[in-house]
Amino acid sequence: MLTAILVTVLVLAVAAVLIFVFLRSKGTIDSGARKGKLNVKHINSVGVAAKAPKVTTSARMPDASSRSVAAAPGDSLKMRFLAVGVIAGAALTALTGKLFSVQVLSGSDYQRQAEKNLYTTVATPAPRGVVYDAQGIALITNRQVQTVLADSDVAENPDVMLRLSAVLGIPYNVVRNRILDLTSGAQSQRVVASDVSLRDIAYINEHIDAFPGVVTQVRTTRSYPHGSLAAHVLGYAGTASSDDLSKAAEGRDIEMGDAVGKAGIESAYDDLLAGDHGQRVLVTDAKGAIQEVVSETDPTKGNDLYLTLSARVQHVAEEEIKKAVKSSTGKAASIAVVDVETGGVLAMASYPTYEPETFVGGVSQDVWDEYQTEASRYPMLNRAISGTYPAASCFKAFTGMAGLTYGFVTTSTTVNCTGTWTGFGDDYPQKCWVSWGHGNVALHQAIVDSCDVYFYEIARSFYRQRESIGTDAMQDFIKEFGFGSKTNIEISGESEGRVPTPEWKAEYFKDAPEQAQWLPGDISNMVIGQGYVLVTPLQEARAYAAIASGKLMKPHFLHEVRNSIGDAVLSETTEEVSRPEVSEANLKAMREALHGVITEEDAVVPLFSGYSWSAAGKTGTAQVSGKNDFAWFSMYAPYKNPRYALSVCIEEGGSGASVAAPVAAAVMDAVMKYENGKLDDSALKDMGYDFEAGIVDSSYAKAAKKKKKSSKKSSTSTSGSSSSSSDSSSSQE
Amino acid sequence: MAQQFNEISSVQPRDPQLLKAAKPKRFGFMNVPFVAIVAVLVAYGLVVQFSATSADADYSFARQLSGVVIGLILAVGISRFDYHALGGFTTLFLVLIVVLLISPHLPFIGVSNKGATSWIKLGPLPQLQPGEFAKVLVVLLCASVVSRYGGRLDDLREYLKTVAILAVPFVAIMTQPDFGTGLVYLVIATFTLIAGGANWRFMVGTVVAGLAFCVLVFVTDPILDSIAGTDVGLKDYQRARLMVWNGSTTDTSGDAYNVQQAMIAIGSGGLTGKGFMNATQSTLGFLPEAPTDFVFCVLAEEFGFVGAVVLIVLYAALILASILIARRSNDLFGMLIVMACVGLWTFQIFENIGMDIGLMPVTGIPLPFMSYGTSFMIMNFCLVGLINSIWVHNGH
Repeated sequence: MLTAILVTVLVLAVAAVLIFVFLRSKGTIDSGARKGKLNVKHINSVGVAAKAPKVTTSARMPDASSRSVAAAPGDSLKMRFLAVGVIAGAALTALTGKLFSVQVLSGSDYQRQAEKNLYTTVATPAPRGVVYDAQGIALITNRQVQTVLADSDVAENPDVMLRLSAVLGIPYNVVRNRILDLTSGAQSQRVVASDVSLRDIAYINEHIDAFPGVVTQVRTTRSYPHGSLAAHVLGYAGTASSDDLSKAAEGRDIEMGDAVGKAGIESAYDDLLAGDHGQRVLVTDAKGAIQEVVSETDPTKGNDLYLTLSARVQHVAEEEIKKAVKSSTGKAASIAVVDVETGGVLAMASYPTYEPETFVGGVSQDVWDEYQTEASRYPMLNRAISGTYPAASCFKAFTGMAGLTYGFVTTSTTVNCTGTWTGFGDDYPQKCWVSWGHGNVALHQAIVDSCDVYFYEIARSFYRQRESIGTDAMQDFIKEFGFGSKTNIEISGESEGRVPTPEWKAEYFKDAPEQAQWLPGDISNMVIGQGYVLVTPLQEARAYAAIASGKLMKPHFLHEVRNSIGDAVLSETTEEVSRPEVSEANLKAMREALHGVITEEDAVVPLFSGYSWSAAGKTGTAQVSGKNDFAWFSMYAPYKNPRYALSVCIEEGGSGASVAAPVAAAVMDAVMKYENGKLDDSALKDMGYDFEAGIVDSSYAKAAKKKKKSSKKSSTSTSGSSSSSSDSSSSQE
Repeated sequence: MAQQFNEISSVQPRDPQLLKAAKPKRFGFMNVPFVAIVAVLVAYGLVVQFSATSADADYSFARQLSGVVIGLILAVGISRFDYHALGGFTTLFLVLIVVLLISPHLPFIGVSNKGATSWIKLGPLPQLQPGEFAKVLVVLLCASVVSRYGGRLDDLREYLKTVAILAVPFVAIMTQPDFGTGLVYLVIATFTLIAGGANWRFMVGTVVAGLAFCVLVFVTDPILDSIAGTDVGLKDYQRARLMVWNGSTTDTSGDAYNVQQAMIAIGSGGLTGKGFMNATQSTLGFLPEAPTDFVFCVLAEEFGFVGAVVLIVLYAALILASILIARRSNDLFGMLIVMACVGLWTFQIFENIGMDIGLMPVTGIPLPFMSYGTSFMIMNFCLVGLINSIWVHNGH
């Protein structure tokens, strides 16, 4: 106010001075031209000086009345009109010219920009496809949840945040942190609460004036109805990160806020599971408020996946490995069950496990950090494909066949086991696991009793013959069963394992040359599945399937893909990777030996005697320095007409026969029931498992059952013609 | 002596066409073409305003209409008044102008908005902009001062004296400050000087000096700002507008946003426009200040290039009709009044449309007969009344 008054006074003062100056000047004009003033007012006198002395031209002109002089001022008057006219004309012409260029020449350009202003295209998220198991049980579904969203600037409004906190029952700080969270993009609305009760949603909507910047929305989220079941296989889907957006494969349209597969099947088949976005074309005003919806196309739901996995078998497998770990010194465990003929994975479990649901809408930092600790034993790790362990005696099936194939032993060759073997010199004694020795053993007995010495002899033969057959002969043979390389199953995180060779050792110990030399002990350790050998349970299960069938299959989970209207668009492809070069006779000898483990080995026999099916398998007890023994059991069943192979490994569980074999027996029993179409919820209950199928695609379940029966019939008929043995499983039918 | 220069009046009766035009006295109270052009312009403006004000609750079409009605009454009144009587009140005009222009600084009635103290609020009356009404007085001031020299201003001292007087309204309005309106005052003065026979060398010199001063201000402004510690001289927003205009800023989210959106509005109108009431740029709020400074964009968007050209032709006709009236004025004062009005209109048209299409920097200068604003509409009608009075009171 003070400044206003000061300025006013100042301006008045300036004006007064100016007026004074002006009045004085006026006075001088007036005094000089009082007479001419009347004339001056007339346009007729244009060019005439108001004050004669000041105007030079006309005053000096002696003949001011002549035409030539008269013409000059007239012309100048015309010139002035012309000047003004030209200025105005030029201005208007310039405007017209520029307007022509903007509106007519670049009009379409600006029209596009105006449309860009006008229309906003918003992608509406598409529901992802449902994932079913082999019997049509839904493993991953979608769920509609009520969510409360807030604009980012709500974070500057403590009143609104307090109200949200009170209504939703979430601590104030949590509300604030969620609104400040940037993970779903700076522009997007932040999820304050998901899965909010309808009552709270109704309250917020009724009092929406008290919640500026807050909206409620129904969102579709991923739901895992069976909790942690098959968590490692299914993986999880999370909110797309900016990384996902930039790395999106061609044809996969990811928008901010979309759910994107991050692990397991969700990630491996992300492009199939993800639907096509719907599109809403909106007219928005400058502030972004929606004025009208111009057009709307509905999103297309993603394809449904049907897996080879059986939820019920999976449940049994998970329960059994959990039980085995808890009842032993075990720390972790994993199991893989594969179809011998197709390579389809029937079950794959890893313990400890996690709940994929915790990843829906973003996992909290606390949970994530905890999952990365030694104490939690890394529940995110899928040990069936990522865990690499010494193969132990399960490996003898393959090294034994190597010996047979290279003719170093025959089924009748016997070796005398005294408990200690000095085949590589007295300075390098190696022990059998039975310190007093097995006495004279042939191959069959060596497998059944798991006699190490017998295999040391095989190792010595390979070592001695290395000049003629090469140092890698045994390793090359073993690799034919898929060891030392990835199985290329769909889900990521797989380890290669290791089959040690002299080259590998030289490379591995290149910084310690004194240890890099390939020693006879390396091969005698490898032959019993110890030393540098590392395998994954899935590799092991697949290799046992290869013993059963004679061919190495690529393991997989996908059985069928159906699009949103229910048509099958993709079905299971079985891929035979190779056929290991083993004669049928040698395979048969090994199968008989493995069958002998089930039927003759004292510790194993009681575990399997109660079942109506027969099997072939091998125990394994891996020694790891500084740790308890790792328990292994690998098998396939039925012994005749094998259908499924499995391999289970209990970390630090103890001996294979006592810890791993019972798990294998229980799981295989469930597998066999499944194979015979008898594994339903009540059967599981009878077996002592608590499982409810929940949502089931019944039409698929029926079709799957029918298919199984018809294929079963054909396999029974072939088995009838090829072999006269009374296989228990086929006799059951 | 007077006989020799009586070119216009002596030619007039001999011209049969003009004789014909002068003869029927049925419309003796007005210049028919001029009034008709103004009527069409005002009607056109109301049509555009109807659309422009429809989307924004801050503006009311009825208020604009009331401006037209008040203006009309004033114009009729002024037409009947013999303008000759105004010739001798130079001092009064000057005092009135200064009082008007500093009135917003007065306590209780002054209103500030967006950093300018340019409005007054008198009781229940709508907010008024004295700077607009002062334009009429500036026209009269310029005409009365320059007409004293009888059409020839060759003496440098007298010229400088005149320029000093004519600069007073500009200085006064810069206290608000309102540079745009101040510029209009300067242009009015310039046109009056041109028409009033000022020596062209003096004029060129003044314009060059003015431009040099502007450039100097623009260049030294950041230095002055840093010395003073505050935003002195050229305001930061003015500097930004100039940067946008000369292309050194293309930040379309910030300073260049208005111009960008104005260009989109005009360009998207294309040849024939989107149709009445279909201007999406203004109705959806992309174009700021649509009814006032950017009203031309609404017109160009709805009626396209054709509609824009119609407006420009109407303006050209208005200016031409005015110049014809000036030519047939029997005295210098009347002629200068008309030429001052022509200057005012020409500049406002050029600046307003020019800034919309990127020819001129952005300033808040409204478009005659089109832009929203009662003060501005009334002021324009006063000018129309004055020009018509000049026609009426020169024996036509």
